[in-house]
Amino acid sequence: MTGDLLRILGLWRRQGGWLLAGAIVSLAALASAVSLMAYGAMALAGIVGVPPILRVLGSGRVILRYAERMVTHTAMFRALSDVRVWLFRRLAVGSAGGLGFRRAGDLLTRLVGDVEALDGLYLRILVPLAGALLLVPVVTWGAGVVVGGLFALAAFVLPGLAARASRDAGDTLARAAGGLRIAALDALTGLREVRAFAAESRMLALVQAREATLLGAQRALAGRIALAGAVAFLCGQAALLAALSRGEIVGVFLVVAGFEAIGGLSRAGALLGHAAAAAHRVLEAADAPIPVPDPASPAPMPAGTSLRFEGIGFRWLPDRPPVFDGLSLDIPQGARVALLGPSGIGKSSLAALALKVAAPDSGRVLLGEVDIATLPSAEVRARIGWLSQATHLFDDTIRTNLLLARPDATDAELWDALEAARIADVVRGLPEGLETWVGVGGARFSGGQGRRLALARALLSRAPILILDEPCAGLDAETERAFLTTLNDTAEGRTVVLITHRLVGVERLDRIFRLSGGKAVAAAG
Amino acid sequence: MSSAAHAKTAARAWIGAEQRVGFRAARAILALNLLGTVFSVGQIFVVARMLSGQFTALLVAAFVALAFGRAGLAYATERLAFGVGAAARRRLRTDIMTRLLAAGPALLRTRHSAELTAIVVDRVEAVDGLFSRYIPASVFAIGGPALVLIAVVWFDRWSALVLLGCGLLVPVAMAAAGIGAAAATRGQFLAMERLQTRFLDRIRGIATIVLYGRSEDEAQRLAEAADELRVRTMRVLRVAFLSSAALDLAAALALVSVAIHFFAGGGDLPTGLFVLLLVPEFFAPLRAFSAAYQDRLHATGAAEALADVPPMPRPTPPVDFSTVAAQGIEVVFEDVRFRWDPTRGPALDGLSFHVMPGEMLVLAGPSGAGKSTIIEMLLGFIRPDSGRIVINGADIVPQALSRLTAWIGQRPVLFAGTIRDNIRFARPEATDADIDAAAAAARVTDFAADLPAGLDTPVGEGGFGLSGGQAQRVAIARAFLKDAPLLLLDEPTAHLDPSTEADVLESLKRLAVGRTTIMASHSAAAHAFGGRRLDIREGRVA
Repeated sequence: MTGDLLRILGLWRRQGGWLLAGAIVSLAALASAVSLMAYGAMALAGIVGVPPILRVLGSGRVILRYAERMVTHTAMFRALSDVRVWLFRRLAVGSAGGLGFRRAGDLLTRLVGDVEALDGLYLRILVPLAGALLLVPVVTWGAGVVVGGLFALAAFVLPGLAARASRDAGDTLARAAGGLRIAALDALTGLREVRAFAAESRMLALVQAREATLLGAQRALAGRIALAGAVAFLCGQAALLAALSRGEIVGVFLVVAGFEAIGGLSRAGALLGHAAAAAHRVLEAADAPIPVPDPASPAPMPAGTSLRFEGIGFRWLPDRPPVFDGLSLDIPQGARVALLGPSGIGKSSLAALALKVAAPDSGRVLLGEVDIATLPSAEVRARIGWLSQATHLFDDTIRTNLLLARPDATDAELWDALEAARIADVVRGLPEGLETWVGVGGARFSGGQGRRLALARALLSRAPILILDEPCAGLDAETERAFLTTLNDTAEGRTVVLITHRLVGVERLDRIFRLSGGKAVAAAG
Repeated sequence: MSSAAHAKTAARAWIGAEQRVGFRAARAILALNLLGTVFSVGQIFVVARMLSGQFTALLVAAFVALAFGRAGLAYATERLAFGVGAAARRRLRTDIMTRLLAAGPALLRTRHSAELTAIVVDRVEAVDGLFSRYIPASVFAIGGPALVLIAVVWFDRWSALVLLGCGLLVPVAMAAAGIGAAAATRGQFLAMERLQTRFLDRIRGIATIVLYGRSEDEAQRLAEAADELRVRTMRVLRVAFLSSAALDLAAALALVSVAIHFFAGGGDLPTGLFVLLLVPEFFAPLRAFSAAYQDRLHATGAAEALADVPPMPRPTPPVDFSTVAAQGIEVVFEDVRFRWDPTRGPALDGLSFHVMPGEMLVLAGPSGAGKSTIIEMLLGFIRPDSGRIVINGADIVPQALSRLTAWIGQRPVLFAGTIRDNIRFARPEATDADIDAAAAAARVTDFAADLPAGLDTPVGEGGFGLSGGQAQRVAIARAFLKDAPLLLLDEPTAHLDPSTEADVLESLKRLAVGRTTIMASHSAAAHAFGGRRLDIREGRVA
């Protein structure tokens, strides 16, 4: 638990200046508040007259408190956005093959909710703890050892006990929040299915059930927090009574000021379990194993772009049947190759191996005669443009979606790619043209149109090798023929690997392979 | 501008209505709070005596009793406040979710499902403070200081007047600060929503980002979005902090005035201490109100999104289709016109056709011709702009439609759960044997045999572990299980290879027996499947 939190603190290093400044301003504000109380009490008891410093401290306290809040909050938000971006980068390293069994809704909770739950760590725990350290000697000096002991108990021991008591509650809460989000997201993403199968009341009942779980977890945690608050209050009351029994007004006022400063710590302690659970989930998502790690000292990238598979054996999971069993395949630079075979035979797996999304169990994949296991994956991927079945259209403009493949592309190049993918006429007909929003996963376009936008993006990339996985799925026969004819001209000089379940006859191809029984067999070209 | 003004008015009306509900629920909290103030005043009276040198057993006993009383009251108030907030959230979430489900699939054309999820989850969470903190605090902010003032008047009228004056300064300062904050909080919620939508979309497409080597760019843009969120949040907080600084100043002013009054006037020590110690107690409810004011701002931001959710559609009278299954379903389109978007051409442009009971109709035509629009209309997702759709002589009613139809779309959504759960979705009361039969008929069993837990294998976001074809077969199994008299197929084999396509069409042929079937497809194999072919071009029969 503490290990996770310490690692999160490590991620905040970049904002160390801000965080430290926040702590210093906060301590200054605390010092002025306590001095104000002490001087006030002395004046009241007639030990000193009303000193002029009281006026300075009075206005200083108001200003310092304002500054404290501004600086600590700024520091916290800066640190949190660092964690978000760090997490996205970490996820990107291991996610070339998609999200797998990790649910997007769950991840969203991690990124947004869990990262936010970490804010209490600095604002409500670390900063007040620093203040408490400063106050222990002051309170002990002013009100005696017994009161000092009670103060230390309330500042350090009670929050720890509260944290321990609510550790499970925090974990349950984080899970319950994720569960509710997934249920709502499922029902709303699947609104078509829900309507078609009249599942409205079932989906509502599921959301209500998940909400009840969440409310139950929140109620349990709120109860612990309220209890921690009550115990801390009673501890303060005992200290106050002890100070009163000494009959020294300065001591009494110091106790009041001191306990006010740490009043929130026990409640924060109860939230620490929540923060630790959040930290654990954030790190768990970030630490997911990388399927194909990069070599420690990568070989230089080769100049050539021939692609060769040598004796490949591969299965996705140990308990699944092998996809390839001794597959060998040679795709020379600039060749146009078709890979044929029914769905599920492993055509997409071949692309996954070439892109270093997965590694073969045996055999080698060679790019320009160099084993890609020795090459950095980012560089390998830069050489290969891939249109997959799962290519994602982002909820953004057509332009932004296309520029993903080539950020510096000119408008003319964008239109050329759209033209080649046989979608330019449709885009030209839109009032907002390239600035048209495509919707969730391209929802504002028909299936075939969305597919062609993804195709235009793949064609736009500068990669010397293009692997097109069923580029014609969702196209009508006429458009399909027109596209394949265009492809013959547009991809001149590039290697083209066409993965398809059938040929229509207009493709200009150098080689045709058929996948069967885990091997590639040359077919009549 | 006018739509923003409209949203603001709607949000204000919404908050007003909710506050009336909230005040009723908050009465018990207020009662506990006021009792807590009485205990505090009593304890301060005791402390003032003790500080004046009267440390008697009776006072100690009173102090201890009051301390426990205050702790108990604070605990009970917190539990009660949680219950009030939870009840309000439960009520609102059910209301919003019901309305979103009633509005149906047409919503997804204009809104992101992540955005809708954020409304159901985060926005509803954000109004919790309105009920559990702000509303009780807003009443207590008047009642609490008033009680303290009564105690002070009893002992020293001049101090009471000072407290009243300083107390009245507070709402003035807070109102001045609050106007700016309400404007800023709207911007903050917009930024938060943009950030969330961006996260989910980018995470869904993370493989595409990584394979195009753009993860660093996206991380940069994410950092910019997070920065925007921080700047906007700080803008809201700065105003809130300023208002609490104003409160601090008012409290300090009151404290100094009262202290000087007693030093100069030489009043008796116990009374002087009593009044001085009551000053923080006087401001405590105002402080709580100032802290809770942020909850009100959060609720204002959320209220705009909540008020924006479509209202419940008017209920349509139920139509009796009980004899339909025996006779079969007859479908007639009469001069149907429809536009998805006023800026684009019509999707359907005066379409008319007729399908007899038990007939198989294949809608053919290039992508974008309007085939899917016809299917969505028959599913009741959308309604014609003009013209009629008549089923067995009656105009279509969405509620009755979902009982009559089974549907297989282009991209099925698989929910979190096992394959079995996903098939059972079509008919929740189905037995395991029913599901096994449906899975076998749709050839789900064939690939499920290779999965670690067969039909009980969990499937993830968008159906990981299942190829597009396999996910489609789960959808076909759903249709088998539902066993409805009208079968709507929207490009069901678009992503399948010829041999799988032939298998699936064979299954579909068995499924279609005795049902009226309408299939949109441009696949040659599907056309060879049989049935009458209707060519659609630009929203009309060609």
